[in-house]
Amino acid sequence: MKPLEIPTFMPRLKVLSRSQALAIHTSALEILENTGFSMDHPRALEMLAGAGCKIQDHHWVKMPGYLAEEALRSAPRQITLYDQNGNAAMPLVDENPYYGTGSDTTFTLDLETGIRRRSLLKDTANFARLVDALENMDFSMSMGNPEDVPVIEDIYVYAFVEMVKNSNKPIVFIADSGKDIAKIYDIACLIAGGPEELEKKPFLLNYSEAISPLRFPGNVVDKLIFCAEKKIPLCLPSGSNAGGGAPITLAGAMALGIAENLVGLVVHQLAGKGSPFLFGPNVSALDMKSSVVCYGCPEWSLTQAALADMRDELYGLPVWAFAGASDSKVMDAQAGAEAMFSIVTSMLSRCNLIHDVGFLEYGSTSSLEMVTMANELVAMSRYFTGGIPVNKETLALEVIERVAGGGSGSIFLTDDHTFDNFMQSLYIPALLDRSRYDSWEQAGSKDLYARCNAEAKRILAEHIVEPKPPEVLRGIDDILSAR
Amino acid sequence: MSELKSLEEAVLKGDIKAAVAETRKALDAGTDLQVILDEGLIGAMDEVGKRFSKGRIFVPQMLRSAKTMQECVNVIKPLFKEGDITPKGKVVIATVKGDLHDIGKNLVAMMMEGAGFAITDLGVDISPEAIVERTQAVGADIVALSALLSITMPAMPATVKALEAAGIRGQTKVMIGGAPVTERYAKEIRADSYAPDAASAVIEAKRLMGIS
Repeated sequence: MKPLEIPTFMPRLKVLSRSQALAIHTSALEILENTGFSMDHPRALEMLAGAGCKIQDHHWVKMPGYLAEEALRSAPRQITLYDQNGNAAMPLVDENPYYGTGSDTTFTLDLETGIRRRSLLKDTANFARLVDALENMDFSMSMGNPEDVPVIEDIYVYAFVEMVKNSNKPIVFIADSGKDIAKIYDIACLIAGGPEELEKKPFLLNYSEAISPLRFPGNVVDKLIFCAEKKIPLCLPSGSNAGGGAPITLAGAMALGIAENLVGLVVHQLAGKGSPFLFGPNVSALDMKSSVVCYGCPEWSLTQAALADMRDELYGLPVWAFAGASDSKVMDAQAGAEAMFSIVTSMLSRCNLIHDVGFLEYGSTSSLEMVTMANELVAMSRYFTGGIPVNKETLALEVIERVAGGGSGSIFLTDDHTFDNFMQSLYIPALLDRSRYDSWEQAGSKDLYARCNAEAKRILAEHIVEPKPPEVLRGIDDILSAR
Repeated sequence: MSELKSLEEAVLKGDIKAAVAETRKALDAGTDLQVILDEGLIGAMDEVGKRFSKGRIFVPQMLRSAKTMQECVNVIKPLFKEGDITPKGKVVIATVKGDLHDIGKNLVAMMMEGAGFAITDLGVDISPEAIVERTQAVGADIVALSALLSITMPAMPATVKALEAAGIRGQTKVMIGGAPVTERYAKEIRADSYAPDAASAVIEAKRLMGIS
């Protein structure tokens, strides 16, 4: 008999038809041509005018659609982020989802007391170390806006330094303007071994935000142009949240967010043709009672799945996404449910770079326990997304005959086939508890929050991060102390 | 006063057409202007605020009610003599220097207006000097400052200091808000009040003015 060789179908989520994707794209181009946008940056205005845009009142720009189409063609379709030792770590192509933390929270849940308090530099360090240790966390972000930075203007530089010192994984970083991003770039060059090495093997990606609707502040465009010229990968969402910066209906919010992304992309490609640009508008929803931007809502998961469809149908550029976050104030059942919802759907829709893992309180509070839990939820989702391999070995007809047709006392658990396959065939959880009641009780009747707390503490106590060479550390100190 | 009852109902529902018609009806019936304003319109908005705080209505419904009230005020305003309308307080509101985010600030301004405050909205990216200047020009009771970014927060204490230096801190209260802002931060920078959202901003503003 010919052995069965059937390719495994990997479960996949689609939410838009091609005609829906085209209609949203066309609407985005219409926004650029008819409504226009506000650009507060003389050099960008000059470049846009030179490329064929119309400028009104020295800041309002109307852009012909073909410029967006051209920029989409010149931007690279694959971005690879390297780790800080120069190894390829995150090839951002359409079938590879990568997860990591977020940035800019005001508070954190203290690991020792469980109390919500202001974020400090040591928290940024701890999150980076945790990410460094966790198998399914692929990159670091600062997680917090540390209250204890010596110089507030350099808050993002200090946060970056904590990440560099406490992790060797790729880093997604925030900056305020052309000034602090230059310092961060200098530090990155020290680590990579020079500007050419960094350009060849970038280990960092800048996250900047324009302001919906359709506003591009000067400091944001400074960073955009800086990254385009230095070939530092970047993404530029604008926060076109339904009901906030954008219309309440998701299609319109997506069209607006995509239009804003296309503006960023056009300026980016004019400043550095072929430089890497990650696509993604961040379309969540404003809660209609509290007016917060939701991090646990199905809307954001739905719009980013739609964006992944638009990538497949039209854009080809890797996409920026979120997951593993919650609006709950504590790590409770709501936090678990919301975190899993976004983690599994972002993976099933094949989003590429997925941030904000570990957020509570609509992105205002960070939690080491949440990141630890999410690490396991990503593993669970990976198992599911792997599908069901169907072949001679997995169909196991011989095993069925052997055991079922065997003598009394013959059970599958004792068969060699089980011994050989159980590790790959089943998902084996680490923190999700399936113990029998008595053993669970004997182990202290701990819930998932308590188990994640203990695991995060264990990792932070035991995990050793490969240190940076002394000359690099000295160079960092020099950059930090230079005023 | 059944005619004001229907006016109140219309504002609660956010039915602009009906509310304007009810306002005209009340005027035709000879109802006192101040009574229409205080009991009909501001009274309705107080109820809207309460319903919103209890989670019984949503933000767009609240804002529609505020808009409805504003349309009714536009009907009666020309009939007041100069200086006859006394607002609950005069508020200067701005997003601080370096920050261009305004959704939260706009929400607060609309809610305060609905509650009977006179609002001067300076917009975004406003320097301490400009805020001081406008505060003096308006004779504001309250200066309300918004910031979304950690990095623009220091413009808040800078503004407080500028108000102090101008010698008008005695007659002007400062309230602050925005994602990274906390109650403790408000104390640190010697602001008088912190509000986590638009509805509590109104409550805080009333508290600062010594009204309910």
